[in-house]
Amino acid sequence: MPYFQTWEEFARAAEKLYLTDPMKVRVVLKYRHCDGNLCMKVTDNAVCLQYKTDQAQDVKKIEKLHGKLMRLMVSKETHSGAMETD
Amino acid sequence: MVLLENDSFLTELTRLFQKCRTSGSVVITLKKYDGRTKPVPRKGHSDSFEPADNKCLIRASDGKKKISTVVSTKEVIKFQMAYSNLLRAHMDGLKKKDKKSKSKKTKATQ
Repeated sequence: MPYFQTWEEFARAAEKLYLTDPMKVRVVLKYRHCDGNLCMKVTDNAVCLQYKTDQAQDVKKIEKLHGKLMRLMVSKETHSGAMETD
Repeated sequence: MVLLENDSFLTELTRLFQKCRTSGSVVITLKKYDGRTKPVPRKGHSDSFEPADNKCLIRASDGKKKISTVVSTKEVIKFQMAYSNLLRAHMDGLKKKDKKSKSKKTKATQ
């Protein structure tokens, strides 16, 4: 199972994978309070990118990436980062 | 699988996190949704369905109970704010950095 070592690489690869085919990609977030860890997976059923952490500082990063991908999914734009001008 | 309104989903998600504090995991899945309510037609039939481009599906589960909601562009801003706060509030069981622990005040003002 390919777990990324750095957040930077994971975030970049995840966004890139999403942009290649938005309809195919899904994002999975698994949180275990009893074990104190958090795991994020982005996959299109062919490629699988994963990142796991037990650090509190990563929660914010994961939550931000999650929100970013959510906004990409509901926007009609094909380019990321562009705001709807309508 | 229970399909809920955004607000009910957030309430139920809070409950899932609270239930799983002692054992178990909370799994959240996020996927782009084109608004289909019927299965994809077999070949030969034309797809008379017009895919919507502005929705996403969010599912959550603790292994037993499953909930889901659909978020569209109009709701995403409000939903995302509440959702981020929820995640940050509940995913607090992780290790904090010990050295040079500058207690950063969380953003209280909106």
